[in-house]
Amino acid sequence: MSLEFLVASAVGLMTAAGIYLTLRGRTFSVVLGIAMLSYAINAFLFSVGRLIVNAPPIYAKGVTEYADPLPQALVLTAIVISFGMTALVVVLALRTYLETGTDHVNGTPDAGETPSDSEGDV
Amino acid sequence: MTHLIIAPILVPAIIGALTLLRTARHTLLGRGLSLGSTIVQVAAALALFAEASTGTIRTYALGGWAAPFGVVIVLDRLSAMMLLLTGLLALGVLVHAVLTGLDRRGWHFHPLFQFQLLGLNGAFLTGDLFNLFVFFEVLLIASYGLMLHGQGGARLQAGMQYVIVNLVGSTLFLIAAGILYGVTGTLNMADLALRIGAAPPGDQPLIRVGAQLLIAVFALKAALLPLHLWLPRTYANTSAPVAALFAILTKVGVYSILRLTTLAFGENAGAVAWAPAGWMLPAALLSLLAGFLGVLAARRLRLLAAFGVIGSTGTLLSAIALFEPDATAAALYYLPHSTLSGALLFLVADTIGRARKREDDRLEPDRPFAGMGQLSLLFLLSAIALAGLPPFSGFIGKLLILTAAEGSAAAPWIWAAILIGTFLALFGLAWAGTMLFWKTTAEEELASSSWRKAATIPAWGVFFLLAALTVFAGPATRYAEATAQQLFAPEAYVAAVLGPEGSGR
Amino acid sequence: MDLLLISVLPFLGALAVSLAARWTRTAQAIIAGGFTLAAVLLLVSKAPAVLGGQVIGSRLEWIPALGLNVEYFLDPLGLMFAGLILGIGLLIIIYATFYLSAADCSARFLAFLMLFMGAMLGIVISDNILLLLVFWEMTSLSSFLLIGFWRHLPEGRQGARMALAVTGGGGLALIAGMLVLGNIAGSYQLTEILIAREAIQTSPLYPVALVLILIGCFTKSAQFPFHFWLPQAMAAPTPVSAYLHSATMVKAGVFLLARLWPVLAGTDLWFYLVATTGLVTMLLGAAIALFKDDLKALLAYSTISHLGLLTMLFGFGTPMAAVVGVFHILNHATFKAALFMNAGIVDHEVGTRDARRLGGLVHLMPIAATLGTIAGLSMAGLPPFNGFLSKEMMLEEATHTVWGGLEWLVPVIATVAALLSAAYSFRYVAHVYFGPRRDDYPKAPHDPGIGLWGPPAVLVVLVVLIGLFPAATAGPLVQEVSGVVIGAEPPYFALKMWHGFTPALIMSIVAVLGGALLLWRHGSAERIWRALPLPVAKNMFDRFTALLVTTSRTITDAIDTGSLQRSLFVFFLVAIGLGIEGMSAGEYAAGARDTIPASSIDVIAWLALVGGTVAVMVSQQHRFLTLVYISVVGLVVSLGFIHLSAPDLALTQISVEVVTILLLLLALNLLPKRAWPTSSRTRRIRDAVLAVIGGGGVGWLSWAVMTRQPNDPISAFHWAQAKPGGGGTNVVNVTLVDFRGFDTFGEIIVLGIAALGIFALLETAARGASGRRLLAWKPDLIRSPERHPMMLVVGSRLILPMAIVVGLYLFLRGHNLPGGGFIAGLVFSIAMLIQYMASGFEWAEKRRRIERHALITLGILTAAATGLGSLVFGEPFLTSAFGYFHLPLIGEFELATALLFDIGVALTVIGAVMLALSQLSNVAQRAEKIEHVEHPMDIDPSRTTETNL
Repeated sequence: MSLEFLVASAVGLMTAAGIYLTLRGRTFSVVLGIAMLSYAINAFLFSVGRLIVNAPPIYAKGVTEYADPLPQALVLTAIVISFGMTALVVVLALRTYLETGTDHVNGTPDAGETPSDSEGDV
Repeated sequence: MTHLIIAPILVPAIIGALTLLRTARHTLLGRGLSLGSTIVQVAAALALFAEASTGTIRTYALGGWAAPFGVVIVLDRLSAMMLLLTGLLALGVLVHAVLTGLDRRGWHFHPLFQFQLLGLNGAFLTGDLFNLFVFFEVLLIASYGLMLHGQGGARLQAGMQYVIVNLVGSTLFLIAAGILYGVTGTLNMADLALRIGAAPPGDQPLIRVGAQLLIAVFALKAALLPLHLWLPRTYANTSAPVAALFAILTKVGVYSILRLTTLAFGENAGAVAWAPAGWMLPAALLSLLAGFLGVLAARRLRLLAAFGVIGSTGTLLSAIALFEPDATAAALYYLPHSTLSGALLFLVADTIGRARKREDDRLEPDRPFAGMGQLSLLFLLSAIALAGLPPFSGFIGKLLILTAAEGSAAAPWIWAAILIGTFLALFGLAWAGTMLFWKTTAEEELASSSWRKAATIPAWGVFFLLAALTVFAGPATRYAEATAQQLFAPEAYVAAVLGPEGSGR
Repeated sequence: MDLLLISVLPFLGALAVSLAARWTRTAQAIIAGGFTLAAVLLLVSKAPAVLGGQVIGSRLEWIPALGLNVEYFLDPLGLMFAGLILGIGLLIIIYATFYLSAADCSARFLAFLMLFMGAMLGIVISDNILLLLVFWEMTSLSSFLLIGFWRHLPEGRQGARMALAVTGGGGLALIAGMLVLGNIAGSYQLTEILIAREAIQTSPLYPVALVLILIGCFTKSAQFPFHFWLPQAMAAPTPVSAYLHSATMVKAGVFLLARLWPVLAGTDLWFYLVATTGLVTMLLGAAIALFKDDLKALLAYSTISHLGLLTMLFGFGTPMAAVVGVFHILNHATFKAALFMNAGIVDHEVGTRDARRLGGLVHLMPIAATLGTIAGLSMAGLPPFNGFLSKEMMLEEATHTVWGGLEWLVPVIATVAALLSAAYSFRYVAHVYFGPRRDDYPKAPHDPGIGLWGPPAVLVVLVVLIGLFPAATAGPLVQEVSGVVIGAEPPYFALKMWHGFTPALIMSIVAVLGGALLLWRHGSAERIWRALPLPVAKNMFDRFTALLVTTSRTITDAIDTGSLQRSLFVFFLVAIGLGIEGMSAGEYAAGARDTIPASSIDVIAWLALVGGTVAVMVSQQHRFLTLVYISVVGLVVSLGFIHLSAPDLALTQISVEVVTILLLLLALNLLPKRAWPTSSRTRRIRDAVLAVIGGGGVGWLSWAVMTRQPNDPISAFHWAQAKPGGGGTNVVNVTLVDFRGFDTFGEIIVLGIAALGIFALLETAARGASGRRLLAWKPDLIRSPERHPMMLVVGSRLILPMAIVVGLYLFLRGHNLPGGGFIAGLVFSIAMLIQYMASGFEWAEKRRRIERHALITLGILTAAATGLGSLVFGEPFLTSAFGYFHLPLIGEFELATALLFDIGVALTVIGAVMLALSQLSNVAQRAEKIEHVEHPMDIDPSRTTETNL
């Protein structure tokens, strides 16, 4: 078994989990799905720089084998951005729940909860 | 002059940061900064527009790192036009928000607004694929904030969906960018164009996957059917001025489709050539019809306007999907019209809702109110514009698209869809207008104090932009034509970015 | 240039009137009338030249790219129509001024009317078919406004919408038709098109263009089966009916038939489409008119019938028929406008226009009766009025026309229609003015002032004059106009009363006598008519619109359910579909790069990841557990980064992981801890299938890219330039702060905005519905009795300085070794957050010196200022500079401007994270009713009322 296969299959699995979870009805699951997708994407984006072991992109004279630094920089940016986004979506989910009393993504009220005074019934 | 090109990015970034400070929050200072910044952006956009209209393509290498190694921003006719459009629309929306006090109904309106402009301007200027992603994220996250501005249950609920859909979209963007980098080894769009052209045949299917996924992300932003499902709820549930500003957000998707397809997935791209052409036209025609059908079906004015945005973006993309200079020129003329007319209707809807109070913008009869005449006139004008009836620019744009499509094999479909769509819009808007202004309840007239007359100034401003687009349709179409020529001859763009040989610092 | 002036005068008039909204009605009428009169005078000054065979043109470039320019030309046909539009328009303005009630807004009315006038005028003098289209649709729009002028009337609203839908919709077909026509002719200029008869009629697209254009003409001119909108439009004030719906707008279709006659007429297709439509409409309109009791409805159907007649004449396609058509346009406009105004007078003075409630008015309103009778008899086709002349000539033409081999068909139908026409005209005269005087009129009728009867009187004078001296009055005009319509010298014709005992005369006599007879037996005829099972076109239209609206709602609601799952499902589906499409193009070749064999540790880590992922999916109902599992996944990913030569990524991922989990914990505390799945089993299976395909696709893509050789990536440059150009050996960090510092600049702004969003969301959490829920929140997990355990508080205080040092260290070395501003910022924030968690929000908040918003500002500004610094040296934004320095303890390090930039990054990160998380912990603590914590070690905090924020 190659390292590439492990990474690719892990990316695939995490993506699949992300897709499945984002398709669920509860905001919490969806948030986890988003988190899963961002793991998957970070790994994917990293993988397009090809895999290499024990050759971090720290410059030293004479070194010719090194991990592609660019995808790493991209992943770093992506991590930060997805961190901000995830944080926002978590809080948004929480806040929506507090406001509407349901943690269903489509605003479907749960049994026992009264629907909020929503203004957007069209 | 050379640094002017980064002004549309730096000015909103700095002013946005400054308006965050406590001293600028909820004070005249904040408003003044924000307005001043927007005016400066319009001025800068005008200067850049003037420069781009000579046909030169200007590049600016950030950090002094030449393309393709650093990030470059590129100003050509298309980006200059988008900058100007953004600035003008933003100015109208901002004045509206200030006049109606929307900016004080929640936190951080001005910072978010400026960051939104930063994201938009950046997306229009950048010549780097990953940097485009970053600016997409800037404009998206600012749009989340603006969308939620004012809050309330329905808005939060709709916002939740909007955010999640776009997060998933961003994920796909990264996949696409990753594939393209992994296979071609570059992120610079001009370099990408060269490398795709030179890619071995065995690589091309992978590149095509990247291209298709990338275009799918843009289509999601542009609300192309069937990826439009997020739009109606989002636009109808946010505050109307924000929705008006969002009229340009769908155009970012359109812009990106046009930019990348003509530049990198065009004639010379081998198996990647015109990747989206096959599926985009039917999708665009269906969005056109679904949008205008929604106009007819809508029970609220803001929802109607939201569907109008889908319909007019569909119209726009049905021309772009032909990927041919004449049709693109037609689309480029129609693009500002589509943006401004959608925004105008939202602004008008906002004022109507304020004036009517009880029924808000629901298409139900309400009391007559003072100043109905002026609002009904504004509504009439915006409805004519949105439906694309004469004499305004929408009609000219549609004629341009119809004539440009004439040579295409799909012409009967395009013609039928556009004309049927116009009919549906006409019908829906006539119905809405009679409900809002003609069919009133027998109650006493609402006093004029219920809404501020000055609040219509921005709407009139946007309308006059449409009127100018109509009167100066000659120069405007010439610009659009030249822009299309520039897009369909990407060699100039590539040469401007990479230089004759394309080397390092 | 004069033409341009003429064409803009009505629009200027509309503007002037609307600006004079506060002036008196008379003043407004004078303004509107003045502009119209000016246009009339200008037009008259051109008349001699135009009738002398000169064509006046004017051109203004508008959109050359489209071929849409402001091109006008004035030939006899245009002159005649322009004369009718402006002349009758002037009369209508006078009439309307006296007609409208005090409550009506006359400025609005006159402005709309002038708008319409301008649009209509534009149609008839356009030399550019695209420009014509512009005006065409504008007449539909202004007609909509005028029909709905009395906005309180439901029939006005419906009528206006119907008229707009039919004429506006027809206009859309016309757009298509005109574009096709222009395409065939190679020009949108009318004068060019008019000489391209050969090319047009032989083109395979001719039938398409013809049918589309005819739809436009027929809808506008209320031809069967589109006729139904016209009677509904009668809800408009009478001046509008007289102007738009008898004399001008409805003639636009006929005008276009006449205008395009030279290039479109003469084919069989033209004959059968146009003549037949005209024939049917003429007959149908006349028949319905006879049984309408409302005078305006009667006149409306009569108009339909006459428009049918005109259409039929142009449809015959013979030059002589065209001559007759031209003549009848003139005659119809005069008597019909007069009759509408007359009906308006009756309505105005008597208070009803129901024929059953009228009669005997001749004694009370002699002037109106005289005018009405003359115009009515002209409509009936009686000599010596102008209606007789053209009807006679029409019947003559009918006798020469063979339809589908049937010689008798057209003459017979024409005679029947003429008979019905005579009958309803007689009815109008007899049932309104003659017969016994009644004593139950709603109002006391008397003749109106000259303002109301003057305008129709002018037209009635014309009716008589043309009737008596046709050759002298109308002759030259008809001669010239028909010359234009035919496109050649018109055939010889004589406009005169007496043509001898021709078949037409006999038909005419039959028609008049039969008409009188029919009126005499009107009662019985009406009973028969009512018994006929005739479909009512209006109802059909109503059903159509209802169906359209329901369908649109059904479709829209079916597509747009507001379901997030649907949006996402479709998106994933599209992405998968497009991915497959991409792969199926071209010849895919697998990569040739050697793979790295995996060690057993790798496999174990992989298994942990797989296990974690699966556990996350199956443990959805136990949310805390899910968090534990997902952090396992995050941990393995971080370890993977370390193993695969990405220490920076690992550091970042792990610190982000900590903060994210912290955040999720805080949020989850307030969210329901357990939730049962909401979706059905089939749905879960469906989603799982999609997920497997999507995940498989992405995994495969990753594999496909990893296993091929890199294609000379641009990062080779970054590797080589990091040290000499960027002054750092950590290439990733140099890329972030230098090569691609612009990305980072955007990235920190994203983070800042995210924090702002979070802050704004939570700021209001204590209010409204959300606040009530927070108050009602009950802890559902077992708590430690101590809120702020001593150990934790003390520990956290100790951590703080250490964390600051670690953060600083990571920060300073970041340029050369793994680390950097982002990670440093996160480490510092985590340390700070622990203070909040350990000691409570209030305590920590009080000891916070810098406003968190300002930290974000400061961060962004620092980064921007660093970038801007390079501008001073004439370098592009974000250009870096560096040098080396030595400090004890830390050792050799360099100071690069990139470091300043990184400070900006760190500041923003700290500001953002603190702003977001402290706010969240505040809300969380508020939910736990710990609102005011004075001493961090309190076990039982005092509960005073909240004062903060």
